[in-house]
Amino acid sequence: MSNKVALITGITGQDGAYLAELLLEKGYTVHGIKRRSSLFNTNRIDHIYQDPHVDNRRFILHYGDLTDSTNIINVIQKVQPDEVYNLAAQSHVAVSFETPEYTANCDALGTLRVLEAIRILGLAKKTRVYQASTSELYGLVQETPQTEKTPFYPRSPYAVAKLYGYWITVNYREAYGMYACNGILFNHESPLRGETFVTRKITRAMARIKLGLQDCLFLGNLDARRDWGHARDYVKMMWLMLQQDKPEDFVIATGVQHSVRQFVQAAAEELGIPVRFEGQGVDEKGYHAETGQCIVAVDPRYFRPTEVETLLGDPSNAREKLGWEPRITFKQMVAEMIQADLRDAERDSLCKTQGFRTYDFHE
Amino acid sequence: MKSALIIGITGQDGAYLARLLLEKGYAVAGTSRDAQMARTANLRLLGVADKVTLHSASPSDFRGLWQVIEKARPDEIYNLAGQSSVGLSFDQPLETFESVAVATLNILELLRLLGRPVRFYNACSSECFGHTPEPANEETPFKPRSPYAVAKAATCWAVANYREAYGLFACSGILFNHESPLRPTRFVTSKIVSTACRIAAGSGERLSLGNTDVVRDWGWAAEYVDAMWRMLQHPEPEDFVIATGRSHSLMEFTAQAFAAVGLNHADHVDTRPELLRPADIPVSKGDPSKARELLGWAASKDMPLVVKEMVRAEQERLRLQEKCS
Repeated sequence: MSNKVALITGITGQDGAYLAELLLEKGYTVHGIKRRSSLFNTNRIDHIYQDPHVDNRRFILHYGDLTDSTNIINVIQKVQPDEVYNLAAQSHVAVSFETPEYTANCDALGTLRVLEAIRILGLAKKTRVYQASTSELYGLVQETPQTEKTPFYPRSPYAVAKLYGYWITVNYREAYGMYACNGILFNHESPLRGETFVTRKITRAMARIKLGLQDCLFLGNLDARRDWGHARDYVKMMWLMLQQDKPEDFVIATGVQHSVRQFVQAAAEELGIPVRFEGQGVDEKGYHAETGQCIVAVDPRYFRPTEVETLLGDPSNAREKLGWEPRITFKQMVAEMIQADLRDAERDSLCKTQGFRTYDFHE
Repeated sequence: MKSALIIGITGQDGAYLARLLLEKGYAVAGTSRDAQMARTANLRLLGVADKVTLHSASPSDFRGLWQVIEKARPDEIYNLAGQSSVGLSFDQPLETFESVAVATLNILELLRLLGRPVRFYNACSSECFGHTPEPANEETPFKPRSPYAVAKAATCWAVANYREAYGLFACSGILFNHESPLRPTRFVTSKIVSTACRIAAGSGERLSLGNTDVVRDWGWAAEYVDAMWRMLQHPEPEDFVIATGRSHSLMEFTAQAFAAVGLNHADHVDTRPELLRPADIPVSKGDPSKARELLGWAASKDMPLVVKEMVRAEQERLRLQEKCS
């Protein structure tokens, strides 16, 4: 067992939750930074939460925000972490077109604030940093599949901000000899994925359609192709990247690609819904093959000003150096997501029949 | 009459660009963070201080920029503002990002919001390429090596993204080093020239330099602003590399400067490791073919001529100073 101390920014998110579980299993003391909100935002980590009155806590939350330098410096000073995992971000590509400046502030400057805090606190030689970089950096892909050497071509304010985060991490490694590295993670999903991300949106909707809680699922670009893995697999790679002799950037991906349409089909299949696609472009629709009900339709509002059509990662380097082998297949992942969302839908359905109000949680 | 707004008009490039655009008959407005307190020495030196309209605006303040654009109603906007020293960016990485990247994002967002057919030039930098033993062109991937370069690389991609996403006429000039007598002395080229001139005048001091093996492509700023203007006259918004195409080491630059004042640099120069940057770029080479072909632009002055002009201007300045004192 380790007695290391880790600090996770973005602990309330999908990756933060899985990573916290993993590090606690490994014996770490885990500190997390969460943003203050008037709504509860800790449902992904409630199962590992430890009350402040418990002795020898190994899971400790701090209020904070990557847009506040003083806060980042204070928390890092207090925690004196051996490892920092910078997972906090405005992480939604489509929303970044609406909030480009905020996205730059969190994702670009936020990364710089973390690195700079470590440096000015004199922790540059002690604290190792994992920076959550993203396959969105490849955007309009310059070659397929994408490796650590593929040039970037970001296609959204999110990706441009993350590009800054990537290079400033490289720069702090080169300039100050920090152990800082980028995980260029391709899409990774799970039942904990945010509800507005397309995969989770699909599995939630399909489960609710199955139980008659929803009629139709509206999506954007059905032809977009992504390399989807399971977040539980991916957080292990984050940890491994910080356990190497030398800091290095790694692509983490499955090397397998599916379209959004195929994701819908896989989700429907898991629920035993036969779905048939007809039509082209914005007129394409998915019908329930037995009832004829239209259950999937395209809504151009979900198109992006600049789309990323295809992403496919080549994880050879991670396989060789980190022993990366994704355990959970695409089909298993979709099944797990569907089962979780089906349970939620069943609970809502039950509540409704008993006369309680449930919320649809629209985007 | 066309009108242009130069954001960051009081710097080296701002002043030369203002002069060029005035010659071309533009109405020229410019911004400085505080127009009343602005350092207009560069504009005065080029004799254009009275011919431009100055507005106060910090490009990292969206609202202020909006007001200025409403007032100036420009056909063309040139964004030259921002913390421009690579060395300083290691000490002030956050301010560098704010003044470089947030500022550019603000202008792009404003252009999108206003929906007017304004053409936008963004000052990008060869620093984005990092180490380029082979001459870098528009297709060369970025490998930035300083907080300054990382911020500039982000602006270049933001410009490309807004061009592609919203059809803005926005382009980045990826300019290699360009010098002039207007460069402040914290830039090494200016420091070398002014020190060499003082030593030649009998100051008896010595010149301390960091890594003199670094190789750069040095051009003449007055010519580079012409390339900026040409980019905005091109039918399509595109990014261009602007360079002389000829690179030299800093030691060669130094030797040239001392030779121009009749001295041997070897007798006057010390290299000091504490002046080294945390991460430096060994070699910077640029390939300006695209600008030559599509814009008809080529640099006429490369390093030896640049040094000659800088030395001449510095000696002139020292003579004036002596006369006045």
